[in-house]
Amino acid sequence: MKKFRWIALLLVAAFVLSACGGGGGQTIKIGINAPLTGDIPKVGEGTKFAAELWLEEIGGVINVGGKDYKVELVIEDNESKGESAAAVNTKLITQDEVLVIVGPQSSKQAVPAGAVANDLETPMISPWSTNPATTKDRPWVFRTPFLDPFQGPVVANFVSDEFGFTKAGVLYDIASDYPKGLAEYFKQAWEDIHGAGSVVAFESFTTGDTDFSAQLTKIMDAGAEFIFAPQYYNEVALIVQQAHELGFEGPIVGSDSWGSAETVNLCGEDCYGLFFSTHYAAEGATGATKEFIDKYNAKYGYVPDDVGALTWDSLNIVKTAIENCGKLTGDIKVDRKCVRDAMAAIKEFHGITGDMTFTEEGDPIKCAVIVRISEEGKFTFYKQVCP
Amino acid sequence: MTTDSLPVNASQNGLRARLARFWEPYRSVPLLGWLIALLVSVGLEQLVGRPLAWALGMSKIPALFGIVVILDKPLLIPSALLYTILIYLLPMAIVARLLTGFSNRLARRLLQYPLIVSALVHLVLAYAVLYLWTDISDYRLLVARLTMIAIIVTLSLNVVNGYMGEFSCSHPGFMSLGAYTASVFTLVLFINDNRFGEAILPTSWGPFFFPIGLILGGVVSAIGALLVAIPSFRTRGDYLAIISLAFMFIVKSLFENLEVFGGARGISSQPDYATLPVVFVWTVLSVWIINNFVRSTLGKALNAVRDDEMAAEAMTVNTRKTKMVAFLFAAFWAGVAGGLFAHVLRYINPDTFGIRKLAEVLAMVYFGGLNSVTGSIVGAVGLTLISEALRPLEIYKWIIIPVMLILIMIYRPTGLVAFTEFDVKSLFQPKEAAEKGADHGAA
Repeated sequence: MKKFRWIALLLVAAFVLSACGGGGGQTIKIGINAPLTGDIPKVGEGTKFAAELWLEEIGGVINVGGKDYKVELVIEDNESKGESAAAVNTKLITQDEVLVIVGPQSSKQAVPAGAVANDLETPMISPWSTNPATTKDRPWVFRTPFLDPFQGPVVANFVSDEFGFTKAGVLYDIASDYPKGLAEYFKQAWEDIHGAGSVVAFESFTTGDTDFSAQLTKIMDAGAEFIFAPQYYNEVALIVQQAHELGFEGPIVGSDSWGSAETVNLCGEDCYGLFFSTHYAAEGATGATKEFIDKYNAKYGYVPDDVGALTWDSLNIVKTAIENCGKLTGDIKVDRKCVRDAMAAIKEFHGITGDMTFTEEGDPIKCAVIVRISEEGKFTFYKQVCP
Repeated sequence: MTTDSLPVNASQNGLRARLARFWEPYRSVPLLGWLIALLVSVGLEQLVGRPLAWALGMSKIPALFGIVVILDKPLLIPSALLYTILIYLLPMAIVARLLTGFSNRLARRLLQYPLIVSALVHLVLAYAVLYLWTDISDYRLLVARLTMIAIIVTLSLNVVNGYMGEFSCSHPGFMSLGAYTASVFTLVLFINDNRFGEAILPTSWGPFFFPIGLILGGVVSAIGALLVAIPSFRTRGDYLAIISLAFMFIVKSLFENLEVFGGARGISSQPDYATLPVVFVWTVLSVWIINNFVRSTLGKALNAVRDDEMAAEAMTVNTRKTKMVAFLFAAFWAGVAGGLFAHVLRYINPDTFGIRKLAEVLAMVYFGGLNSVTGSIVGAVGLTLISEALRPLEIYKWIIIPVMLILIMIYRPTGLVAFTEFDVKSLFQPKEAAEKGADHGAA
């Protein structure tokens, strides 16, 4: 008797609760595939915060064809592993039935995850991945950042015009695909301008190294006038400080991976006055960019780095694409196709990281920004370079 | 068969006694019976799963027995529980009980034929269960394939760390050798891509030659293992751990610096050859062969070497050869697993096979149990599923899993199911104890 009562109670509870859970009108689900744990949790946090801020900003609704749809974010952790990113994408697509996926951020997750999205015919946009393989031959996969083949020449041209140098030294991490790719594109671009052999030193190290004095000495002995170091914030601080300790006087130039608040925190005065190329400049920003930075700063207590800004732009691209779709049928397959086509058809998108259009490959054409680290340690806008 | 003494002190302990009494009839259910019951469950899910899930307020069939649902949306806890009970627990309990007599008789009948017949029947049933289960969603399919690959890797590492008693850290290195070899094999021969150019052979031949690619991957891994083994087997214990760790890093930086293989960017666009049946067959093969290996004379010699190398030597065991063969054998299977992994994920880079992969595999071996095939399976399946199911917890997952490992190390220092023999024949046996009663009663 007692047992029966328990089962009955359980059943009633189940139905009452499930009635609450299942309710609600039509919703648009957007999957976020982010590295919340693992090697780069700060990137995952930036993604999550930007996404939540965005949801708040649009009031949780997207209007498609005169009808309001509730927006639901499904944020999943990919542990910063390739196989997990693929599993998360599969789960988002088949279990949660999301309309579109934003993420993953780094290429080592975005490439396998992109394969899943493309196979299961779900539009995906990676805010941060720069590996060409992410979008190559994948009509369903897009990205928001510019590619390294564009950024390399940007830096090379900037240094040539600004300083008039002819001899470059490069220091990069050979074990990490982003610095390595960028260093090679830079070398190519620099040698196109100044002739073969103008990159006088092309030195590498391996992820996790902390002492760069051997490489720096070599670069200095080779007579490099400046150093290009497309590294992440933790290595930037070490490289710059050690170069200064060794008596290197020339500038050290960086890439978009410098654009983290941590760079200045770790590097301090050594980094003041240095330049790097990136997607947007936080200090001195105007319009929508400033609005985003202020809101983010007010809510989470720090100035967002480029991951946050790019995620924000990706979500807005997604929103534009959904709106351009005109009508949602409720059949997820049809709607996904519609969103993909709308995304590929975007002609002009005004994002906070610049205006962009998409190429056939799903890559954007957009401008880069040269940022100068000011004497207060702020990232100030210096120059815009467009393709 | 079991040495459980629960029924004896049943009266002393309320809940436990009740559970024991409830469990009593199920002791006589043979493996065959459980497989049939499972098949009925997944078949039921195939038929009524979707409408039931909708009726319970869930938009989809819960993929991993509702655990993800529970952690994601606490409101749906009763629905998820109810679903699991209605689809899995209840039908399984009923079918297993009803068919006890039948399945026992069937198991006995099958054993009258050569063992291979029993084995095949069990495997076909297991595959049918797996097929129906993964048919529900692609997510399950991916998890199932990754789990089976984890089983191969764990087993092969167990040969070295468990049966041989050494501490080898080079398994991710072997996996990466296998993964790169198999990837290059399929990409060069069967796929038009921009790295290796036009396919040499017709693309449609690919799936048939894929096993050759995997074996090639395994062989390359074994050659790599030979390179570690020659210098390192002069040492023991900690030193082997350090040398093998160094080997893992050497392989990693080797691929990072080889531009032909994509350097740090890795290789992508492998064909989707590692489908469910392919992975299943390779997993079964690996379990069967590794199990036979560790139960052979060589396997026993391996245990002797582990327990006391000097004594083993004195008892005419050729310790050097034994260790060498086992190490190469383990590396071979790690290479095969790597090849499968590359074709499931369809993207590999050197960083995938780094220290984190090592930690993962080691955790599976020590969680499941040293010196035990069953233990390896338990460890691989357990950790993969737990890690997948706890994903919604984000950072807390990395508190729960290590705490679990610590608890296991305290209460079962050699792992959950350590030092057991995996005897296929006894696995297929009808449960004799119940036979006299059950044959009459349950039919």
